[in-house]
Amino acid sequence: MAVKTFRRGNHYEDFKVGQKFRHHWGRTLSKSDNILFTHLTMHFNPIYLNKEYAKRFGYENVVINPQFIFHLTLGMSVEDLSEVGGPFLGVDNLSFINPVYPGDTLYAESVVIDMRESKSKPQFGIVTWKTSGINQKGKAVIEFERRNLVSKRGSLPQ
Amino acid sequence: MGVTRAINYYEDFEIGDKIRHQRGRTVTEMDNVMFTQLGLNTAEGHFNEDFMSKIRIGTWGGTRIVVGSFTIGLVIGLAAEDISENALAEIALDKIRLQTPVCHGDTLYAESEVLGKEDTDLFKGAGIVHFKVTGKNQEGKMVFEGEKKTVIKKREFYLKDDENFWPRK
Repeated sequence: MAVKTFRRGNHYEDFKVGQKFRHHWGRTLSKSDNILFTHLTMHFNPIYLNKEYAKRFGYENVVINPQFIFHLTLGMSVEDLSEVGGPFLGVDNLSFINPVYPGDTLYAESVVIDMRESKSKPQFGIVTWKTSGINQKGKAVIEFERRNLVSKRGSLPQ
Repeated sequence: MGVTRAINYYEDFEIGDKIRHQRGRTVTEMDNVMFTQLGLNTAEGHFNEDFMSKIRIGTWGGTRIVVGSFTIGLVIGLAAEDISENALAEIALDKIRLQTPVCHGDTLYAESEVLGKEDTDLFKGAGIVHFKVTGKNQEGKMVFEGEKKTVIKKREFYLKDDENFWPRK
Protein backbone atom coordinates (compact mmCIF):
# COMPACT_ATOMS: atom_id res chain seq x y z
CA MET A 1 0.00 0.00 0.00
CA ALA A 2 1.35 3.38 -0.97
CA VAL A 3 1.54 5.99 1.77
CA LYS A 4 0.06 9.26 0.64
CA THR A 5 0.30 12.77 2.03
CA PHE A 6 -2.28 15.24 0.84
CA ARG A 7 -0.32 18.49 0.46
CA ARG A 8 -2.35 21.59 1.28
CA GLY A 9 -1.78 25.14 0.22
CA ASN A 10 -0.79 27.11 -2.85
CA HIS A 11 2.56 28.54 -3.92
CA TYR A 12 3.24 31.83 -5.68
CA GLU A 13 3.13 30.10 -9.07
CA ASP A 14 -0.41 28.82 -8.35
CA PHE A 15 -2.00 32.29 -8.16
CA LYS A 16 -3.15 34.64 -10.89
CA VAL A 17 -4.78 38.04 -10.63
CA GLY A 18 -8.57 37.71 -10.69
CA GLN A 19 -8.57 34.14 -9.38
CA LYS A 20 -11.43 33.51 -6.91
CA PHE A 21 -11.66 31.20 -3.94
CA ARG A 22 -14.54 29.97 -1.82
CA HIS A 23 -12.81 28.84 1.35
CA HIS A 24 -13.54 25.67 3.24
CA TRP A 25 -16.03 24.75 5.92
CA GLY A 26 -17.85 27.83 7.18
CA ARG A 27 -18.10 28.15 10.93
CA THR A 28 -20.94 28.88 13.32
CA LEU A 29 -19.99 31.45 15.94
CA SER A 30 -20.69 30.62 19.57
CA LYS A 31 -20.93 32.64 22.74
CA SER A 32 -17.74 31.01 23.93
CA ASP A 33 -15.73 32.27 20.91
CA ASN A 34 -16.62 35.79 21.86
CA ILE A 35 -16.09 35.29 25.58
CA LEU A 36 -12.64 33.77 25.10
CA PHE A 37 -11.44 36.35 22.59
CA THR A 38 -12.91 39.43 24.26
CA HIS A 39 -11.77 38.50 27.75
CA LEU A 40 -8.30 37.22 26.83
CA THR A 41 -7.55 40.32 24.76
CA MET A 42 -8.91 42.51 27.60
CA HIS A 43 -11.26 44.25 25.16
CA PHE A 44 -13.38 46.05 27.73
CA ASN A 45 -16.39 47.35 25.84
CA PRO A 46 -19.70 46.08 27.26
CA ILE A 47 -21.34 45.63 23.84
CA TYR A 48 -19.24 42.42 23.67
CA LEU A 49 -19.82 41.49 27.32
CA ASN A 50 -23.33 42.51 28.36
CA LYS A 51 -26.45 41.59 26.36
CA GLU A 52 -28.73 44.06 28.12
CA TYR A 53 -26.33 46.92 27.48
CA ALA A 54 -25.90 45.92 23.80
CA LYS A 55 -29.70 45.91 23.29
CA ARG A 56 -29.87 49.59 24.28
CA PHE A 57 -28.16 50.46 21.00
CA GLY A 58 -30.31 48.34 18.67
CA TYR A 59 -28.27 45.14 18.78
CA GLU A 60 -30.29 41.94 19.08
CA ASN A 61 -27.79 40.23 21.41
CA VAL A 62 -24.27 40.58 22.69
CA VAL A 63 -22.11 41.41 19.63
CA ILE A 64 -19.28 39.07 18.64
CA ASN A 65 -16.04 41.02 18.98
CA PRO A 66 -15.21 42.14 15.43
CA GLN A 67 -11.51 41.39 16.02
CA PHE A 68 -12.50 37.73 16.32
CA ILE A 69 -14.53 37.97 13.09
CA PHE A 70 -11.40 39.27 11.37
CA HIS A 71 -9.29 36.52 12.98
CA LEU A 72 -11.70 33.77 11.86
CA THR A 73 -12.31 35.10 8.32
CA LEU A 74 -8.56 35.32 7.80
CA GLY A 75 -8.09 31.91 9.41
CA MET A 76 -10.52 30.18 7.03
CA SER A 77 -8.66 31.68 4.06
CA VAL A 78 -5.22 30.46 5.12
CA GLU A 79 -5.18 26.96 3.62
CA ASP A 80 -5.94 28.32 0.15
CA LEU A 81 -3.93 31.54 0.36
CA SER A 82 -0.99 31.56 2.73
CA GLU A 83 -0.46 28.21 4.44
CA VAL A 84 2.72 27.30 2.59
CA GLY A 85 4.52 30.08 4.21
CA GLY A 86 5.61 33.50 4.11
CA PRO A 87 5.27 36.23 6.69
CA PHE A 88 2.09 38.25 6.95
CA LEU A 89 2.90 41.78 5.70
CA GLY A 90 -0.20 43.82 6.30
CA VAL A 91 -3.90 44.54 6.00
CA ASP A 92 -5.51 47.59 4.40
CA ASN A 93 -9.03 48.86 3.80
CA LEU A 94 -10.74 46.64 6.34
CA SER A 95 -14.45 47.37 6.89
CA PHE A 96 -16.69 45.84 9.52
CA ILE A 97 -19.98 45.98 7.61
CA ASN A 98 -22.58 44.23 9.78
CA PRO A 99 -22.64 42.93 13.37
CA VAL A 100 -22.32 39.20 14.00
CA TYR A 101 -24.18 37.43 16.82
CA PRO A 102 -23.80 34.06 18.54
CA GLY A 103 -25.42 31.44 16.28
CA ASP A 104 -24.54 33.21 13.02
CA THR A 105 -22.45 31.24 10.52
CA LEU A 106 -19.49 32.80 8.77
CA TYR A 107 -18.11 31.92 5.32
CA ALA A 108 -15.00 33.37 3.68
CA GLU A 109 -14.17 34.06 0.03
CA SER A 110 -11.24 35.79 -1.66
CA VAL A 111 -9.99 37.14 -4.96
CA VAL A 112 -6.35 37.73 -5.97
CA ILE A 113 -5.95 41.46 -6.63
CA ASP A 114 -2.17 41.91 -7.01
CA MET A 115 1.01 39.86 -7.45
CA ARG A 116 4.63 40.86 -7.66
CA GLU A 117 8.11 39.43 -7.13
CA SER A 118 9.95 40.26 -3.89
CA LYS A 119 13.10 42.27 -4.65
CA SER A 120 14.86 41.42 -1.40
CA LYS A 121 13.75 37.77 -1.13
CA PRO A 122 13.87 36.07 -4.54
CA GLN A 123 12.40 32.82 -3.19
CA PHE A 124 9.13 34.71 -2.48
CA GLY A 125 6.50 36.71 -4.23
CA ILE A 126 4.10 39.20 -2.68
CA VAL A 127 0.41 38.44 -3.19
CA THR A 128 -2.52 40.67 -2.23
CA TRP A 129 -5.99 39.22 -1.82
CA LYS A 130 -9.32 40.83 -1.12
CA THR A 131 -11.09 38.60 1.40
CA SER A 132 -14.75 38.87 2.42
CA GLY A 133 -16.66 37.29 5.27
CA ILE A 134 -20.36 36.66 4.69
CA ASN A 135 -23.04 35.34 7.01
CA GLN A 136 -25.66 32.61 6.46
CA LYS A 137 -27.96 35.12 4.75
CA GLY A 138 -25.26 36.07 2.25
CA LYS A 139 -24.79 39.48 3.87
CA ALA A 140 -21.28 40.88 3.95
CA VAL A 141 -19.94 41.28 7.48
CA ILE A 142 -16.28 42.07 6.83
CA GLU A 143 -13.98 42.91 3.92
CA PHE A 144 -10.22 43.47 3.84
CA GLU A 145 -7.11 43.39 1.68
CA ARG A 146 -4.24 41.24 2.96
CA ARG A 147 -0.66 41.02 1.71
CA ASN A 148 1.71 38.13 2.37
CA LEU A 149 5.05 36.90 1.20
CA VAL A 150 4.21 33.63 -0.58
CA SER A 151 6.96 31.10 -1.17
CA LYS A 152 7.77 29.79 -4.60
CA ARG A 153 7.74 26.06 -5.18
CA GLY A 154 10.63 24.25 -3.50
CA SER A 155 11.85 27.23 -1.48
CA LEU A 156 10.66 26.05 1.97
CA PRO A 157 10.85 22.57 3.55
CA GLN A 158 7.71 20.46 3.18
CA MET B 1 -21.93 56.02 37.70
CA GLY B 2 -23.04 53.24 35.35
CA VAL B 3 -21.19 50.35 33.77
CA THR B 4 -18.84 52.50 31.67
CA ARG B 5 -16.65 55.38 32.88
CA ALA B 6 -17.44 58.93 31.82
CA ILE B 7 -13.91 59.73 30.62
CA ASN B 8 -13.94 58.52 27.03
CA TYR B 9 -16.98 59.90 25.23
CA TYR B 10 -16.61 61.43 21.76
CA GLU B 11 -16.16 64.90 23.27
CA ASP B 12 -13.24 63.71 25.43
CA PHE B 13 -10.95 63.01 22.44
CA GLU B 14 -8.99 65.83 20.83
CA ILE B 15 -7.00 65.51 17.63
CA GLY B 16 -3.36 64.99 18.55
CA ASP B 17 -4.08 63.41 21.96
CA LYS B 18 -1.69 60.57 22.76
CA ILE B 19 -2.43 57.84 25.28
CA ARG B 20 0.03 55.34 26.66
CA HIS B 21 -2.20 52.51 27.85
CA GLN B 22 -1.40 51.37 31.35
CA ARG B 23 -1.37 47.58 31.18
CA GLY B 24 0.98 45.32 29.27
CA ARG B 25 0.31 41.66 28.64
CA THR B 26 2.63 38.70 28.17
CA VAL B 27 1.56 36.51 25.26
CA THR B 28 1.47 32.85 26.18
CA GLU B 29 1.61 29.63 24.22
CA MET B 30 -2.02 29.09 25.26
CA ASP B 31 -3.10 32.35 23.59
CA ASN B 32 -1.43 31.56 20.32
CA VAL B 33 -2.23 27.88 19.96
CA MET B 34 -5.81 28.23 21.23
CA PHE B 35 -6.73 31.13 18.96
CA THR B 36 -4.85 29.80 15.92
CA GLN B 37 -6.88 26.63 16.21
CA LEU B 38 -10.22 28.26 17.14
CA GLY B 39 -9.80 30.55 14.14
CA LEU B 40 -9.16 27.59 11.79
CA ASN B 41 -5.78 29.06 10.84
CA THR B 42 -3.89 26.12 9.33
CA ALA B 43 -0.42 27.70 8.97
CA GLU B 44 1.98 25.38 10.80
CA GLY B 45 4.30 28.26 11.69
CA HIS B 46 1.89 29.02 14.52
CA PHE B 47 1.62 25.51 16.01
CA ASN B 48 4.44 23.21 14.82
CA GLU B 49 7.61 23.93 16.80
CA ASP B 50 9.63 21.26 14.95
CA PHE B 51 8.75 22.78 11.55
CA MET B 52 9.54 26.33 12.64
CA SER B 53 12.82 25.41 14.34
CA LYS B 54 14.16 24.57 10.86
CA ILE B 55 13.10 27.79 9.13
CA ARG B 56 14.58 31.26 9.28
CA ILE B 57 13.66 34.18 6.99
CA GLY B 58 15.17 37.42 8.29
CA THR B 59 13.78 37.95 11.79
CA TRP B 60 11.07 35.35 11.19
CA GLY B 61 11.43 31.71 12.20
CA GLY B 62 13.43 29.53 14.58
CA THR B 63 10.38 29.13 16.80
CA ARG B 64 6.58 29.41 16.50
CA ILE B 65 5.22 32.87 15.72
CA VAL B 66 2.09 34.20 17.36
CA VAL B 67 -0.73 34.41 14.83
CA GLY B 68 -0.88 38.00 13.55
CA SER B 69 -4.61 38.40 13.93
CA PHE B 70 -4.29 37.61 17.66
CA THR B 71 -1.48 40.17 18.01
CA ILE B 72 -3.72 42.73 16.30
CA GLY B 73 -6.69 41.84 18.52
CA LEU B 74 -4.57 41.97 21.68
CA VAL B 75 -3.02 45.39 21.00
CA ILE B 76 -6.45 46.80 20.11
CA GLY B 77 -7.79 45.11 23.24
CA LEU B 78 -5.10 46.65 25.47
CA ALA B 79 -6.16 50.07 24.16
CA ALA B 80 -9.88 49.38 24.46
CA GLU B 81 -10.68 50.40 28.04
CA ASP B 82 -9.29 53.86 27.30
CA ILE B 83 -10.49 54.45 23.74
CA SER B 84 -13.39 52.05 23.02
CA GLU B 85 -15.20 51.54 26.32
CA ASN B 86 -18.00 53.85 25.15
CA ALA B 87 -17.83 52.72 21.52
CA LEU B 88 -20.98 51.60 19.70
CA ALA B 89 -19.15 49.95 16.78
CA GLU B 90 -15.77 49.41 15.23
CA ILE B 91 -16.19 50.23 11.55
CA ALA B 92 -12.75 50.13 9.94
CA LEU B 93 -9.10 49.17 10.24
CA ASP B 94 -6.39 50.27 7.84
CA LYS B 95 -2.62 50.39 7.27
CA ILE B 96 -1.98 47.43 9.55
CA ARG B 97 1.68 46.46 9.60
CA LEU B 98 3.38 43.77 11.67
CA GLN B 99 7.07 44.67 11.57
CA THR B 100 8.47 42.44 14.31
CA PRO B 101 7.28 38.88 14.90
CA VAL B 102 5.79 38.09 18.32
CA CYS B 103 6.80 34.85 20.05
CA HIS B 104 5.56 33.11 23.20
CA GLY B 105 6.71 35.02 26.28
CA ASP B 106 6.87 38.46 24.63
CA THR B 107 5.10 41.26 26.49
CA LEU B 108 3.07 43.79 24.51
CA TYR B 109 2.19 47.39 25.34
CA ALA B 110 -0.21 49.67 23.45
CA GLU B 111 -0.33 53.37 22.63
CA SER B 112 -2.93 55.40 20.76
CA GLU B 113 -3.12 58.75 19.04
CA VAL B 114 -6.24 60.63 17.91
CA LEU B 115 -5.93 61.37 14.18
CA GLY B 116 -9.37 62.77 13.44
CA LYS B 117 -13.04 63.10 14.33
CA GLU B 118 -16.15 63.22 12.16
CA ASP B 119 -19.92 63.12 12.43
CA THR B 120 -21.88 60.05 11.42
CA ASP B 121 -25.44 58.94 10.70
CA LEU B 122 -24.69 55.33 11.62
CA PHE B 123 -25.93 55.80 15.19
CA LYS B 124 -27.80 58.70 16.71
CA GLY B 125 -25.86 60.85 19.13
CA ALA B 126 -22.45 59.51 18.20
CA GLY B 127 -19.39 60.43 16.17
CA ILE B 128 -16.47 58.64 14.55
CA VAL B 129 -13.03 58.92 16.11
CA HIS B 130 -10.04 57.97 13.97
CA PHE B 131 -7.13 56.52 15.97
CA LYS B 132 -3.65 55.31 15.25
CA VAL B 133 -2.84 52.37 17.54
CA THR B 134 0.64 50.94 18.01
CA GLY B 135 1.94 47.93 19.92
CA LYS B 136 5.49 47.49 21.19
CA ASN B 137 7.25 44.55 22.78
CA GLN B 138 9.38 44.50 25.94
CA GLU B 139 12.37 45.80 23.96
CA GLY B 140 10.40 48.73 22.59
CA LYS B 141 10.27 47.25 19.09
CA MET B 142 7.13 47.98 17.09
CA VAL B 143 5.12 44.78 16.65
CA PHE B 144 1.89 46.32 15.37
CA GLU B 145 0.76 49.57 13.90
CA GLY B 146 -2.58 50.36 12.40
CA GLU B 147 -5.43 52.82 12.21
CA LYS B 148 -9.00 52.30 13.30
CA LYS B 149 -12.28 54.14 13.01
CA THR B 150 -14.63 53.76 15.93
CA VAL B 151 -18.15 55.08 16.51
CA ILE B 152 -18.26 56.58 20.00
CA LYS B 153 -21.19 57.89 22.04
CA LYS B 154 -21.52 61.60 22.61
CA ARG B 155 -21.69 62.59 26.25
CA GLU B 156 -24.51 65.06 25.68
CA PHE B 157 -26.79 62.29 24.34
CA TYR B 158 -25.87 59.36 26.55
CA LEU B 159 -24.40 60.45 29.89
CA LYS B 160 -27.70 60.40 31.81
CA ASP B 161 -28.87 57.06 30.42
CA ASP B 162 -25.43 55.57 31.01
CA GLU B 163 -25.40 56.74 34.61
CA ASN B 164 -28.83 55.19 35.14
CA PHE B 165 -28.04 51.87 33.46
CA TRP B 166 -28.26 49.50 36.41
CA PRO B 167 -30.78 46.80 37.39
CA ARG B 168 -33.78 48.06 39.31
CA LYS B 169 -35.32 46.07 42.17
